[in-house]
Amino acid sequence: MNLTNFNTSEEFFVDMQRCIGCKACEMACAECETNGQQTLISVNYVDRASTIQTTVQVCMHCEDPVCANVCPADAISQDEFGVVHTASTERCIGCSNCVMACPFGVPKKVEEYDLMMKCTMCYDRTSVGKKPMCATVCPSGALFYGTREQIEEMRPNSTPINNFIFGKEKVKTKVNIMMPKGSTELRIY
Amino acid sequence: MAKLPVEIEKIIDIFGPHKNYAPVDGYVGKDEPDEVVKTHCCFCGMQCGIKLLVKENKVVGFEPWMEFPFNEGRLCPKGVQRYLQNNHPDRLLHPIQRVEGKGFEKVSWDDAMDKTVSEIKRIQEKYGKHAFSMLSGVSLTNEKSYLVGKFARVALKTRNLDYNGRLCMVSAGAGNKKAFGLDRASNNYSDLEYAEVIIVTGANISETFPTLTHWIWKARDRGAKLIVVDPRVIPLARTADIHLDVRPGTDSALYGAMLKYLVDHDMLDHDFIDNHTSGFQETIDAVKDYTLEWAEEITGISKEKIKAAAELWGKAKTSFLLHARGIEHHSKGVDNVVGCINLVLATGRIGKPYCGYGTITGQGNGQGGREHGHKCDQLPGNRDIENPAHRQYIADVWGIKEEDLPHTGLTAYEIIEAIHRGEIKGLISLCFNPLVSLPNNNYVRSALEKLEFYVCIDFFLNETARHADIVLAGSLQEEEEGTTTSAEGRVIRIRQAVTPPGEARTDTSILLEIAERLGEKDKFTYQNSEEIFNELRVASKGGTADYFGISYKKVEDNMGIFWPCPTEDHPGTPRLWEDRKFKTPDGKAHFNPAPYKLPGEVTDVEYPITLTTGRVVSQYLSGTQTRRIGKLVDQFPEPMVEIHPEMAMKYGIKQRELVRVSTRRGEGIFPANIVETIRKDTVFIPYHWPGHKSANQLTPGTLDPISKIPEFKVCACQLDPQGTIAPSANESEAYASV
Amino acid sequence: MKNKTFNTKALLVATLVSALTIVFVFLGSRQLQNFDAALVTYLFGTIFAFFGIVYRYTVWLQRPPTWMYFKRSLKFLFTGKIFAHLWFLGKESVQNIVLQKFIYPRSKYRWIAHFCIAIGCLSAFAITIPLTFGWIHFTLAPNSISIYEAHFFGFKMMDFQINSFMAFLIFHALNWSSWLVIIGSVYYLRRRLTNPGLIATQTFEGDLLPLILLIAISVTGLCLTYSYQFMKGFAYDFLAVIHAVTVIMFLIWIPFGKFFHIIQRPAQIGAHIYKQEGIKKGMAVCPHTGEQFATKLHIDDLKIVTKQLGFDFTHEDGTSHLDLSPEGKRSRLAQAHLKARVGGGNLFG
Repeated sequence: MNLTNFNTSEEFFVDMQRCIGCKACEMACAECETNGQQTLISVNYVDRASTIQTTVQVCMHCEDPVCANVCPADAISQDEFGVVHTASTERCIGCSNCVMACPFGVPKKVEEYDLMMKCTMCYDRTSVGKKPMCATVCPSGALFYGTREQIEEMRPNSTPINNFIFGKEKVKTKVNIMMPKGSTELRIY
Repeated sequence: MAKLPVEIEKIIDIFGPHKNYAPVDGYVGKDEPDEVVKTHCCFCGMQCGIKLLVKENKVVGFEPWMEFPFNEGRLCPKGVQRYLQNNHPDRLLHPIQRVEGKGFEKVSWDDAMDKTVSEIKRIQEKYGKHAFSMLSGVSLTNEKSYLVGKFARVALKTRNLDYNGRLCMVSAGAGNKKAFGLDRASNNYSDLEYAEVIIVTGANISETFPTLTHWIWKARDRGAKLIVVDPRVIPLARTADIHLDVRPGTDSALYGAMLKYLVDHDMLDHDFIDNHTSGFQETIDAVKDYTLEWAEEITGISKEKIKAAAELWGKAKTSFLLHARGIEHHSKGVDNVVGCINLVLATGRIGKPYCGYGTITGQGNGQGGREHGHKCDQLPGNRDIENPAHRQYIADVWGIKEEDLPHTGLTAYEIIEAIHRGEIKGLISLCFNPLVSLPNNNYVRSALEKLEFYVCIDFFLNETARHADIVLAGSLQEEEEGTTTSAEGRVIRIRQAVTPPGEARTDTSILLEIAERLGEKDKFTYQNSEEIFNELRVASKGGTADYFGISYKKVEDNMGIFWPCPTEDHPGTPRLWEDRKFKTPDGKAHFNPAPYKLPGEVTDVEYPITLTTGRVVSQYLSGTQTRRIGKLVDQFPEPMVEIHPEMAMKYGIKQRELVRVSTRRGEGIFPANIVETIRKDTVFIPYHWPGHKSANQLTPGTLDPISKIPEFKVCACQLDPQGTIAPSANESEAYASV
Repeated sequence: MKNKTFNTKALLVATLVSALTIVFVFLGSRQLQNFDAALVTYLFGTIFAFFGIVYRYTVWLQRPPTWMYFKRSLKFLFTGKIFAHLWFLGKESVQNIVLQKFIYPRSKYRWIAHFCIAIGCLSAFAITIPLTFGWIHFTLAPNSISIYEAHFFGFKMMDFQINSFMAFLIFHALNWSSWLVIIGSVYYLRRRLTNPGLIATQTFEGDLLPLILLIAISVTGLCLTYSYQFMKGFAYDFLAVIHAVTVIMFLIWIPFGKFFHIIQRPAQIGAHIYKQEGIKKGMAVCPHTGEQFATKLHIDDLKIVTKQLGFDFTHEDGTSHLDLSPEGKRSRLAQAHLKARVGGGNLFG
């Protein structure tokens, strides 16, 4: 049982087509208290030679997290709010199973610490009523943290979805991605 | 004697740039700050609100300021990392002086001031008052900008004062004055929200003004169509409804053709044109031959796209046009600006809700800094230094005789040319790093070497300051109280979060002491920044940029006040021209003919490729601050030359192969970045880096005849692949390049 | 998590190991003649802890990802150049288990504090477990009143003068361990009570209780010494009970809580061996970025492990989503999203 309470009325909404690749989120993530100057969010060019498109990826906080399942050291846990926590420092053996198995490419292995670190949805901030650092600073709305009503009002042409299909696997997440109106899932080829 | 005193490597070793990173767990005290100071980012014209966390007189972190209306907590990477300029190992903590063969050594304030003042006096006695010049910058607050203007004219008594806004907004300023008689963005950004069409031209908003992206996206969520004009597929252009991939240097042809299309298809607001404008006929006469076919030929944009853009613009009921340096950094920058304004005036979509126009001011206080007599041809309140009535008014405010007030001086780049000619022998600079930011920087360097005396006020030893005889340790933005005016025209409060460290002093106190030692103490008797601001209010009263009704308290209570604000009970003016009373002599908005002209340098057999320059998101201007912040450096470790795959194939260039780019002025070697996101005939290099990594080794000193802005955005170059692949970007150490 | 609640295999192994331990207690204490009856509660606590640890360890090993690592690293260790492998194992053990060098980059102070706790705890285990089992005992040397002999498994190991410095060190060894544990634990407790990031994510039973327990064991242990040395045995019996309670709580808690990491940590070396051997066998190249990103062995094994766990990332064409590097996965997701947006008629929405 955590000593802190997670705010359940607000959710995370991502729209990578809005991302302008500025990396404000990466810089801001490192200011979050839970991860001491390590950036746990990723922004990268999708294919720089042909496009300026960038993508931004936060931990999607899967309902049945592959990372936790493939962890040989039981280092990744999920709490009662569905937040998948970063590897516990005492258990993680730095094997990178989670890094390679996560279908969203989220966990990061910090080589010098021999430790995996991942987004905890800014637990230090969200548990005291603030928004995650990345979504607070994002200048383009690629990352938004707020209520479902807010996002519906702001983005009338989009629907948040949280079902993703990777090959034969269907992954359901706590974090939403904004899709064309009426979408129900996103299939990744 | 302004050559480097020792090898450049030794200077870099001691004074940087060095990269600063926060400690692994952040600075001590970040969790329990002594103070949380609501202030603004020190970088671009957006002037985003930010809260700085202060512990024991050090800035130890930041917290988003959710309530500030423009950015509501949003920041770009520079804003997030801006707190790291404080606590920096390169920070100058005391004055230093040049010692031949040794470098720079500590000197007492008294000795530094003695030397400075005696050299100013010596040069001015020997060569005349105007042989001592001053270069300043608009990262300074309104108070300091005003003080610099007065200091140069009243204490130094030189006419040769100019500022780095000369590389920034002067074309827009001149164009706006021609069209509206006033120089300010006509609207605040909340007018973007319900604009049906938005044109963004020559403005890489998502990299140079990232937080403005929110307002554009917000408009698009409401159904706005976005038209982006840029030679590159910039992040904003990727998802835009129309991307007009203009050939650098041909912007006015595009606007001319669009204007002709509006005229031919009668997409005009005749009522507005007839009643509130002048100059329409000669303006449309100038573009009568600008067919879509012709425009396609000149601009390289397909005529279908130009037509589609003109249709969208012509049919819209509300709209917003934004431009920035991309169209202004040209030998016809003013033409480009009035070309844009013509499109706005023709449709009458100004001075109404969600009908907007504005230049996006680049520098932190680019707006305020260009209003208070910081320019060689200007007096406070955006007054004209050659207008007798204006001169008399300011002379009275300053307590001097009108005939003692210097007249128009030289502009920034012209000062460099005058140093070369031997007409200017001394220089004092503040907040300006011309060795990186002016064009043709080899020429700038040799000018610096000709100076008899150069004193620089700065918080870091920037590249230009390495040539100084005396460097006075000045203050960072967060070390002095003041105000700035954001790109929207919103006057906001900058707070002193900490006092200058060590023996460093505030810029203001340094200028005041020099003024005192020059014998003008009675004209500079300010006890604090607010007193300077209150004098500025009086000085601006009745001018076009009227701040008289703005007080510190009013700014603080309202989180900003938009000028003009002529009286104390005036609420400020977020949207201009609602009354249709323009500030031109005839009270009308002016159309200005903007016929297409060639750029200052065109491609030829020897130099067959168009070179354009610009910025990246993690760096700011000449990089004096941002090249010292570790993560910002690491985000873009070095400048690369962007080349289209077809051009790369033609020259046999591979990805990350080193390529020598040369122009008639210089050459530099850069790794190739082969991308389809640039025009096939154009290459691009960002300019924030010094020395051999500087794009401004290549750019020309061609100036706009009216605004005197240099033509950074277009010149002719040749490419020469070196046959070797560049080492990894982090090894290049371009941030501290010699 | 797909863990079964009851595990027959683990029960068998744990029972066997516990029984073996009891046998060794008999043997090591020479049919209990060297056994100290005062320590019988500790003996039961320790044996119960052994049972729990082995049970938990066996359950843990049976998890597909753990078993994969266990199997692979043992196989690598004992095939090919065995001597070189053992040398690597030794080197890694010193660096990671003894020195815990991977903590140092996270923070120098954290490393010092953890090292204090680790050395304190491990030395205490090394002393108390054999003492409890009756494997070690001390006797006065025959015909002497000033020379002590130390015996292990009933065999004489060494002797020393009763007033010597050596005697002082040996008889107070647990005190030294206690001080080390207290220094380290107080540092960590302070950190956990002041660092906002930790405050937000820690739990009482998972993170604070273990530290409190360590401090309680050490403090009560020290009190016992000072009680009989300086306070004429003041409250000795009470302290002895409290000490026993804290120690037994600690022992029983090992398999379930934070302290299990002491048992798990050697797996880190397995992961290092796995990676090193994997590199020798070749790297996987991401089909999206075209760059190497992991060992091929790792990716291939993960495909097996994920399937065993009930996840199938195989595409219709037979390739797997797991063939992509993390950057490749993020990019492919963004491309799929772009495609969906384009399909929706608007890139932006």
